[in-house]
Amino acid sequence: MESQVDTSKIVTFAKLEDVLALGRANSLWPLTFGLACCAIEMMATGMARFDLSRFGAEVFRPSPRQADLMIIAGTVNKKMAPAVKLLYDQMLEPKWVMALGNCAISGGPFVYPGQYAVIEGVDQLFPVDVYVPGCPPRPEALIEGILKLEEKLTGKRRFPVAKLKE
Amino acid sequence: MIVRKESIPPGPSGEAPSETFVLNLGPQHPAAHGVLRVLMTMDGEWITKAEPVIGYIHRMHEKMGENRTWAQFLPNTSRIDYLSAMHYTHAFVGAVERAAKIEVPPRAEYVRVITSELNRIASHMVWWGAMLADLGGLTPFLYAFDDRELILDLLEGICGARLTYCYYRFGGLCNDIDDDFVQGTRAFVKHMPPRLKMYRDLVTDNIILRKRLTGIGPISAEMCRKYGATGPVIRGSGVAYDVRKIEPYSVYPQFDFKIPTYPECDSMARYLVRMDEMEQSLRIIEQALDQLPAGPVMGKVPRVLKLPPGDYCYAVEAARGRFMVRIVSDGKDTPYRVKLRTPSFSNLSLYEEASKGMILPDALAMMGSLDLVIPDIDR
Amino acid sequence: MKPSIEQLTEAFSCLAGPVPAEVTAPSWPVAVYTVDANLKGYHFDAAVSPAQVVTAAEILDRFGFGLDAVTGVDWIAQNEMEVVYDYFHPEINLRVVVRTRVPRASPELPTISPVFPGANWHERETHDFFGIRFLGHPNLTPFLLPEDADFHPLRKDYQP
Repeated sequence: MESQVDTSKIVTFAKLEDVLALGRANSLWPLTFGLACCAIEMMATGMARFDLSRFGAEVFRPSPRQADLMIIAGTVNKKMAPAVKLLYDQMLEPKWVMALGNCAISGGPFVYPGQYAVIEGVDQLFPVDVYVPGCPPRPEALIEGILKLEEKLTGKRRFPVAKLKE
Repeated sequence: MIVRKESIPPGPSGEAPSETFVLNLGPQHPAAHGVLRVLMTMDGEWITKAEPVIGYIHRMHEKMGENRTWAQFLPNTSRIDYLSAMHYTHAFVGAVERAAKIEVPPRAEYVRVITSELNRIASHMVWWGAMLADLGGLTPFLYAFDDRELILDLLEGICGARLTYCYYRFGGLCNDIDDDFVQGTRAFVKHMPPRLKMYRDLVTDNIILRKRLTGIGPISAEMCRKYGATGPVIRGSGVAYDVRKIEPYSVYPQFDFKIPTYPECDSMARYLVRMDEMEQSLRIIEQALDQLPAGPVMGKVPRVLKLPPGDYCYAVEAARGRFMVRIVSDGKDTPYRVKLRTPSFSNLSLYEEASKGMILPDALAMMGSLDLVIPDIDR
Repeated sequence: MKPSIEQLTEAFSCLAGPVPAEVTAPSWPVAVYTVDANLKGYHFDAAVSPAQVVTAAEILDRFGFGLDAVTGVDWIAQNEMEVVYDYFHPEINLRVVVRTRVPRASPELPTISPVFPGANWHERETHDFFGIRFLGHPNLTPFLLPEDADFHPLRKDYQP
């Protein structure tokens, strides 16, 4: 008599939401929203060496109507804040926000007592899903941010976290 | 092919049409190179008035200069124009060294020149990719960043940062370079000329690029002088003005290099100036590596730096043009005033006058040829 | 055109004229200095009265200089603001600085944008940061600050 076949290795039953989450996570379309220095690292991530298209996210859309991930790369100003908020409002649900770099997280190196122009962190304008620290963060850090967002969407992380040898 | 339109033509009933509309090239735009907003009053496809609105990335550098000590301001200098960060740090460090009469050892000066020229090539690569992306050619961007990653590896090996280095200190450098850097730079200098030749054959000699840029966006030498436009903008108008030759600083007099100048005043001339500048930078790097002396990389600097009262200037040839720092000191350990004269500010100030009567794609091609970095304008 | 420091000194000394009565101390006849460029970074320093900045700009325009920058310095202790004009020459190594002082209570001086159109933006930025008014400037509205800004941040007594 043959041994029992473990069907869970052949067929998986999934809810439709899981499939949708898998689809969304693996094809995040970012909005081209580079403001300052972090934008260059964002561009470098999309280029040949670091290659964001491995994760499905290289299709940078200029229009907020066609994008679902807004990567705030750079400092947000008090003059720029209404424009950023308008772009966020124009994006369609479901949408996610990644704060790339120290300036988007908390105002970065431009915060000093008595500062008059910088918004201290873009999460004062709208909710942020992933924070990627650095000034500017390396392209690998941006990819890690994308992977964390995928984990937030699907519940599973794409690559296991490397364990350091003791 | 109509390139310029001097006046609005009359409508079908004979009188001039009164319909112009304002097109907002908003702060978020793929061709705006950052957060630049241009309010274009358009008659159909022709621009009657293009007014740049800036300030969307104003990060208070000059005010921060008054709140930080001399050394605490150094990270700011990298972020004014992050693509050629070494030049900007060089200017500020040079101004303070000039004022405090700090001696810089020759090895540090040579390494400063090598890293500055590498940074210039990296900056021109980003310009090249971005400008061609504006014109619609998206592939050269990948090649440009591929070459740029080689430079960034070299610079990361000596100072730890890929983009916003803070490598120079008052009196020299923070780290010495090692053999890996020297060998890697020599390998890079060998790797680049065939790549530049490939870019020349495939892109510069491409008939579409030639048609898109030749004759577009004329900026006369007189206009450059009146607006203070420097760098490749003035060199593409026939004036051989380069701060490295006219107002020499650091050890640039030791090197033998040419200043590429093209007299045609159009976008193609500015494009060719930058492509030739990359080759000249490779020449400088090679000569600097050959002449590199041994020795310390840090001079004697007092622990708490206080400059004698007065104002001091230092100008460098950044990748975009003439960058000048004017520091005013009142004898304390923080500056009294730091004025940053940035090249993109002056280069963009002539845009309103120069883009009258152009059609929109030509105006964007001209803006790409000015090589703007918006935080450089807004500081 | 390659001017020399002697030619500049001679041209500027012809600028001497009556200083307008409303300019407060220090009194500013045209004071002209040749400066150690290795220390300061510029060669020629001319201190003029606010009414003479346009003539100074015209002299330098005739000699072929280009406009480098226009900026302000807030000397709050002396109750004055200094406006500094930097010029560079595209053919020789000759840097000229023209400076003037205006009282802090009413900082006004004529604009040089008819002579050097590039000064339009520099003066607008100086007005933005210091509140210095350039008479005759076509558009002295906020530039780097938000459009509705009514503060001048680089003043020494600015409180956010």
